[in-house]
Amino acid sequence: MHLPDGFLDTKTALLSSGVAAAGVGLALRRVSTSLEPRQMPMLGLGAAFVFAAQMLNFPIAGGTSGHLLGGVLTAILLGPSAAILVMTCVLIVQCLMFADGGLTALGANVLNMAVVNVCGGYAIFKILKSLIRMDHHRGTVFAAAFAGWFGTVLSAVVCAGELALSNTVPWSIAFPAMGYMHMLIGVGEGLATGLIILGVLRARPELVARHQEAAPSVRFAAIAYGLVVCVGLALFVAPFACPWPDGLESMAQHLGLPNHASAAPLADYRFPFFGSITVATAVAGAIGTLIAFVAAYALAFVLVPVLGTSKKDASARH
Amino acid sequence: MNPAVEVRNLSYRYPQDGESALDSVSFCVAEDECVAVLGPNGAGKSTLLLHLNGLLPEHFSPEPTVWIAGEPIGSKNLAQVRQKVGLLFQDPDDQLISATVFEDVAFGPRQLGIEGGILKSLVSYCLGQVGLAGFEERQPHRLSHGEKRRVCLAGVLACKPSVLVLDEPTSDLDPRGRREFKTLLQSLPGAKIVATHDLELAVDLCSRVVILDDGKLVADGPTVTLLSNEALMLAHGLEKPHILLHRHPHGPVD
Amino acid sequence: MHPPGIERRAPSLSSRTSPRLKLLAVLVIISFTALLPRRPDKLYLIPAAVLLASWAACRMPLRFAIGRLLVAEVFIIGIALLSLFRPAATPIFLSALLKSNLCVLAMLLLIWTTPFQEILQQLRAWRLPSVMLTTLALMYRYLPVLGEEARRMSRARASRSFSARRRLSWQNLAMVISQLFIRSVDRAERIYLAMCARGWK
Repeated sequence: MHLPDGFLDTKTALLSSGVAAAGVGLALRRVSTSLEPRQMPMLGLGAAFVFAAQMLNFPIAGGTSGHLLGGVLTAILLGPSAAILVMTCVLIVQCLMFADGGLTALGANVLNMAVVNVCGGYAIFKILKSLIRMDHHRGTVFAAAFAGWFGTVLSAVVCAGELALSNTVPWSIAFPAMGYMHMLIGVGEGLATGLIILGVLRARPELVARHQEAAPSVRFAAIAYGLVVCVGLALFVAPFACPWPDGLESMAQHLGLPNHASAAPLADYRFPFFGSITVATAVAGAIGTLIAFVAAYALAFVLVPVLGTSKKDASARH
Repeated sequence: MNPAVEVRNLSYRYPQDGESALDSVSFCVAEDECVAVLGPNGAGKSTLLLHLNGLLPEHFSPEPTVWIAGEPIGSKNLAQVRQKVGLLFQDPDDQLISATVFEDVAFGPRQLGIEGGILKSLVSYCLGQVGLAGFEERQPHRLSHGEKRRVCLAGVLACKPSVLVLDEPTSDLDPRGRREFKTLLQSLPGAKIVATHDLELAVDLCSRVVILDDGKLVADGPTVTLLSNEALMLAHGLEKPHILLHRHPHGPVD
Repeated sequence: MHPPGIERRAPSLSSRTSPRLKLLAVLVIISFTALLPRRPDKLYLIPAAVLLASWAACRMPLRFAIGRLLVAEVFIIGIALLSLFRPAATPIFLSALLKSNLCVLAMLLLIWTTPFQEILQQLRAWRLPSVMLTTLALMYRYLPVLGEEARRMSRARASRSFSARRRLSWQNLAMVISQLFIRSVDRAERIYLAMCARGWK
């Protein structure tokens, strides 16, 4: 999902970079103020860890293989602020050392994969953990798996919005294409995230609950990050997500704006029963989300046995 | 004359589980003396060494337990202690954090405020001391294990410590690396404390040995005498080194 | 994991040029290219000429360039194809392809001529926040260490896996990654101690 150069126009590149900078700036502030010196090396090691984990091949059908993105995983293990910084550094290195992802698109990539993915995924993780009571590690594994899926899909949707705003790909194509594709890809990400979190929980459960910060600052951070994500969604998704393209068109005519958004031929295509392709995709999206939810729930049940207490690996301290 | 290092009744419990790691450990190391710390795995050797540099305990109690050159280690003089006591960690990858050898050896002196031309010549000198002259621009991950160890030693020497504390300095080294490192250590002046499983190294390098087992100091005496005591060795998870198998503790030195 | 040929780089004009100049040049070229009109145009020849001339000057190996370009091509073509679903799509499709590939080429030239260390130093000079600089530096230093650990653990797992079932494979990978994380946490703790031992505050 690394956007290369040349697909985003100037305004989108600048806007996405701005929102990304806000998110990263917020993360920097929180890390500088609340992270103990003892935990500083973990940022660098965490980034190396994510990079190394991303290089491992997860086999998929027919000889193809996929790779972990790791944004939500890192958020659960290191906390959202550290995760934003870690993922940003990973993306910077990928851009400047491997030409993976464009330089002018770096802002958008950071927004999608470091800010939106991390914040959105982590928010869902926390919400699920507090709402759904499952015994022992099941709750955490379930929440982690679904959050991993959700974060992937959310970042893909914002990416689609960026492409649409740049007029490179019409929304009616970008949204379903990126959306469906990442709903599938997200399954792998969610599954991997759940399995890895389970692995850490079994060996060193205290590492997953580590970053509990003081309550008032957490609330502030949640609101601030939420705002950043909402601004991103508002800029890149909301303009297109209106299920009544006719309404948008007529408003544009009223205001005398040139008719870009509806120039795509498929925007007028009417699906049976659902209406426009956007509505169809939204409904499919809702169904897909439900399926992912149930799948993550089932996964937690399958993976974590009823026995409860986890067996610690006997690891020598010397 | 104050001993270089004095440990008196040092006890320590792991904060996570409260398990006892060290139990009333007491010993001294004189200036220019080399003492080996032996013991089975889990005896508390590494934990003891971390106390000599002030890295442990996490919070200093009002009663000091470790003295360096007559000064007790407390939260007020940590910086001086860390300059006086150079600690070499077991895994060189944990200590070699910078991108080039020069940057890493310069790390310590930079914390002490040394910069510029003096820093450069200090780094060159220390690299020369460990036999790695000209390695300034090399990258750590391309060095051999032995070379990484020596870079770490150079980085420690650059702070001009008066006591060297080494945690398993010859582990993971091939025989030549071992020999070279041993010769290097023999050439360095000052007090040395070496935690090691390498019993031959203890015999060659150290005049005295302390044995730790289960957090307690169970023996403290001349190297050859203690290591020749087969019963003592076996009782604490060690053994009589081959080099002493045919040597009487009070016989002529080979 | 490291771009090949860092040690094989022959001393030439490009490695003697300051990293600041190279970074700025790449930024200018990429921005210019990205702003070019959305149809194949004579203006495209400008960055193309500059890049090809630079390629000749720094003697970047063809294999290195093609290898990396192919990897990037997957994303480029993938997204570009989506842009075909619109009227008057062809010029946009072609221009997107051209722009992206030119920009990737520019980045590859930067990567070939500038070790990451120098890029990091330049970012420090441009006052990138110190937390990020430290993270990038430590990341660069420990990437090969962790990569090697991951390889060793994968090999050890594979030597005890006799089934080719996908599910087992995923669990093994997850085990390796979770172990890698735990070891990273422990190593970070030891690094902190080692830094303090040399006077870091």
